[in-house]
Amino acid sequence: MSIEVEVNENDLAEMVEQVWESYLDPEGVSPLIPTYDENQPSEVHSSVSITGSWTGFVVYASSTAAARRAAAAFLAMEPEEVSDEDLSDVLGELANIVGGNVKAMLPPGALLSLPQVVLAPEATARFPHTERVSGVYGLWEGEPVSISMWHGRGDNKEGAE
Amino acid sequence: MRAMVIDDSRAMRMILKRIVTKLNFEAVEAGDGQEALDLLNEMSEVPELALIDWNMPNMNGLEFVTHARADPRLREMTLVMVTTESEQSQIVRALAAGAHEYVIKPFTEGAMIEKLALLGLVPTGANS
Repeated sequence: MSIEVEVNENDLAEMVEQVWESYLDPEGVSPLIPTYDENQPSEVHSSVSITGSWTGFVVYASSTAAARRAAAAFLAMEPEEVSDEDLSDVLGELANIVGGNVKAMLPPGALLSLPQVVLAPEATARFPHTERVSGVYGLWEGEPVSISMWHGRGDNKEGAE
Repeated sequence: MRAMVIDDSRAMRMILKRIVTKLNFEAVEAGDGQEALDLLNEMSEVPELALIDWNMPNMNGLEFVTHARADPRLREMTLVMVTTESEQSQIVRALAAGAHEYVIKPFTEGAMIEKLALLGLVPTGANS
C-alpha cells in the first residue's frame, strides 16, 4: 500500500513566497515570477532527502547568477564577492528550509537529511527511481529558479516486490 | 549581553548575528552543537542567549539542548531553537528537552525580535 501525499504546487509556492519575503526579497520588489516551465535550465542545485513515512527529495535548482544573488542577499555582500563556498552554503540552507517545511506536511515519522549541494546542472546528478510530484518554476530577476519535490518510486510497499 | 548562534550554515549564522547585534548583543558563532559546547567550556561568562538550529552534523540542536540543560553552569542561558523542524511533535520534543522558545525557518527579523521580547531579552517594541 502506498501512502498518498498531498503537497501540491500551491503549498510549495506558499513556502517559496515565505523564503523570498524573509531572506531574498524582504522589500517585496523582486518576487519569483512563475513560468510553469518544468524544463527550464539550471546550473546549480541542492537537495535534501526525506525518509520514513515518505521517501523522496526536495530540490532547489537555479542558474549560477540566481544562486550568487541569493547568497549575496543572505550574506549582505555584493554578488561578485560571493565565493563557491558561500554558494554551497546558501543553496544548502535554501533546500533545508523548503525541505523542512515540506516534511512538516507529510505523515508523522519522516526524517530530513542534511543538504547535498552540487555546483553543476541537475542533469548531471539525477535522482534514480524517482518521479516529480510537484514543483514551482520561475524567473527571479530574469534568472531561472525552481523548487521541486521528487517521490521515490516503490517506497512504502508492503511485502516483497 | 552575549548571544551564541549555533547553525551549520554560515549564511544563517550571519542573518541571526545581524539581528542580535542590532539588539546590542555581542554574537559568538558555532557550526554545530559540539563546537558550541567546546566554546562554552572555554568561556568565563556564559552567554545569556543561544539560538540553536536542529539539523547539524556532529551534534544536532536537540542533543545540544539536552547537554546544556544537564550542565548547572549553563542553567541561566536562554535556549531558542531556530529550525525548519516545524511539526508539533518536534516542537514538543524540543521544549521537553529544555528549550525555552521555538522559531520556525523561514523567519523575518521582526518575528525573531518579537520572540526575544517575549522572553524578556529585549525591550517590548524593539522592533518598531
